[in-house]
Amino acid sequence: MRFQLTDEQRALQDAVRSYLRDKFGPAQVREVYETPESDGVPASLWKAIGEQGWLAVLVPEEHDGIGLGLLDAAVIARAFGAATVPGPWLGTILVGECVRLAGSAGQQAKLLPRLAAGEVKGAVALLPQGSFVGTPATAAGGLLTGNLGLVEYAGVADTLVVAAQDGLYLVDPAHATITPHESLDRTVRLATVVLDEAPGERLEASTPEVLAEILDRAAVLMANDLVGIARKALSDTVEYDKTRVQFGKPVGSFQAIKHDLADLHLGITMAEHAATYAAHAADVDAPDRHLAASIAKAKAGDMANLSTAAMIQYHGGIGYTWEHDSHFYLKRAKRLEYQYGDASQHRERIAALLLDA
Amino acid sequence: MDLTFSKEDEDFRSEFRTWLDANLPADMRTREWWRGKSAAESFQARRDWEAKKAEAGFCGIQWPTEYGGRGGSPTMKAIYDEEMAKANAPHSVNPLGMAFLGPTVMAIGTDAQKRDIIKPLLNTEVIWCQGFSEPGAGSDLAALQMKAEAQGDHYVINGQKIWTTNAMHGDKIFTLARTGSNEGSRHAGISMLLVDMHQDGVESRPLKQMTGESEFGEVFFTDALCPTTEVLGGEGNGWQTAMLLLSFERGSSAIGQYIDFRGQWDAVADIARQVDRDGRPAVKDPVLRQQLADSLIDLECLKYHSWHVLTQTSQGKDLGFEASMTKMMWSETFRKVSDAYEAVLGMGYQVPDPQPGLSLEELTTMSLWSRSCTIWGGSAQVQRSIVAERVLGLPR
Repeated sequence: MRFQLTDEQRALQDAVRSYLRDKFGPAQVREVYETPESDGVPASLWKAIGEQGWLAVLVPEEHDGIGLGLLDAAVIARAFGAATVPGPWLGTILVGECVRLAGSAGQQAKLLPRLAAGEVKGAVALLPQGSFVGTPATAAGGLLTGNLGLVEYAGVADTLVVAAQDGLYLVDPAHATITPHESLDRTVRLATVVLDEAPGERLEASTPEVLAEILDRAAVLMANDLVGIARKALSDTVEYDKTRVQFGKPVGSFQAIKHDLADLHLGITMAEHAATYAAHAADVDAPDRHLAASIAKAKAGDMANLSTAAMIQYHGGIGYTWEHDSHFYLKRAKRLEYQYGDASQHRERIAALLLDA
Repeated sequence: MDLTFSKEDEDFRSEFRTWLDANLPADMRTREWWRGKSAAESFQARRDWEAKKAEAGFCGIQWPTEYGGRGGSPTMKAIYDEEMAKANAPHSVNPLGMAFLGPTVMAIGTDAQKRDIIKPLLNTEVIWCQGFSEPGAGSDLAALQMKAEAQGDHYVINGQKIWTTNAMHGDKIFTLARTGSNEGSRHAGISMLLVDMHQDGVESRPLKQMTGESEFGEVFFTDALCPTTEVLGGEGNGWQTAMLLLSFERGSSAIGQYIDFRGQWDAVADIARQVDRDGRPAVKDPVLRQQLADSLIDLECLKYHSWHVLTQTSQGKDLGFEASMTKMMWSETFRKVSDAYEAVLGMGYQVPDPQPGLSLEELTTMSLWSRSCTIWGGSAQVQRSIVAERVLGLPR
């Protein structure tokens, strides 16, 4: 019984964290925030992500990847969440998963090595996200039509994967109408994507089961990003409240505050366990893997929501300012919370899995 | 990440399971069997069964063999807890003695205390109570007032203890009393005495709980006697002894609680399929579905946490104050499942048999019992302060 990361996974975690600490900290995130007109992909960061192999974790070795599991990718996602890292890492990883799980041998050989190396950036439109409800693409004679709603980093993507009624399609963004929107969370770039008889290349082995699998994997990676956010928001708040003095005492000594922080620590610990287990469950094909994915996404979304709100509240006025980093966390959490199913939707799925059986 | 157990551990599991299959009759695993018995009869039945289990070598799993234990690992203890819960086996009649007194005696007891206390504790020959809380000393244990005055080779004890589990069944009590001055510190002058409850100076009275049962009571000491040799950890060291004693709860993985509460959740889900809410089965009510799923989420997280605790303890790490998190997690989760149970039943919660085929007595008692678990053994608020100060490092 070892419910913990392996030494290799811990080394990966250390590598990601130390890169972010030394090379891509809050100042670099702020630059992305202050330039909403930029593409949101700092060149040095993207280069490093490719060189370090952080895009190659899930790509099989035969396609120049590292061939690790979802838990390894989750380690990266969690560290990225804690540092509110911008860029199309997740979209590129998910395009890779679509090609790996649903592509033909030829499609895999053509795309996976380039995705693993960071030579191409990916974006996915697998289901309508949040309130910007798009209509699903329809495929007729390999031509796709539809409003896909908001898609992360569609503006920089070299390749899009689109879910249509009869499967997953690769679409060249040049054939799509892509309209950027200024996102509240500026650690991302969002654009609406409209297809009007755009040519698509079907991923040959795509089935509804594969799509469901990919959606679960996306939810688990998001859950890990969210627990990274939640933990960082809590630990920054704890540190601040140890030193911020009011009424002649550090505010962290007041029970009204410390009890709430203790509750958050407990809830975030639970969410971290859930996000870890869900990734592992996918890797070993555990019987409860779908349940575990929903547990992780729901708990992580709830805790990131609570923790980032507490971060602002327990920093007082300074936490509400643009110059403080609190809003990076809150806004990112708000975005991820509603992607790939919000907490209520995942609770309903849990109910369907366990109560309707 | 490896969530499997070693062959040695799985062998232990099947050995214990085989013993349970042979020695825990099916009817003893049901509520009905126990319901027909008086409190005294059911206590005696549990006591006899536990003695039999001890004789078979399934008691004191982590205790050294020289003390009659099994000499097992934290993993074996977790497997034992899991199998006990899965079998719906009777709870120990000596919970406080097994969890706290035994390990403390092994650590700091005199040779005579080790000889006299441990074996009779293991085989349930002696039932031990814990006498810590007093009417004026609950969460603030150091406010305790009970006095023990040395007169020759005996202490003469006067005072009162309260919330004493098994007060009506106890043979002996390990209890905190003031034997000296508290000058300089409220923690000074306290001793942990080992007192015989079968004497004129000790009187136990039951306290009726909100469940209607009387698992705990009050213990009154009026010129009660205790030999001066019967001090655990030395005179005046009672506070330190108590802190050491309470630290033995830290390694608990809470896997047994998970199994119990998951069983409760499954039963609640079953009831939700049977009872109506607004003209449809409660299980189809969207708000109740959210509530049931939400409690299930925390339950499963409790299971993951028990794996985490087990991983730490099996690698020899002391969880320290993180143990407060385990207590918070299981007790709050238990309340959440109980809340869902009450919500599913609505008005039906008021009666033991709201419709034919439903018998709710056990689940209702369990839901009421959940209200106590965030109070005893360190209230939820005390635990939050511990987690905030000792784990997060926030100032006092």
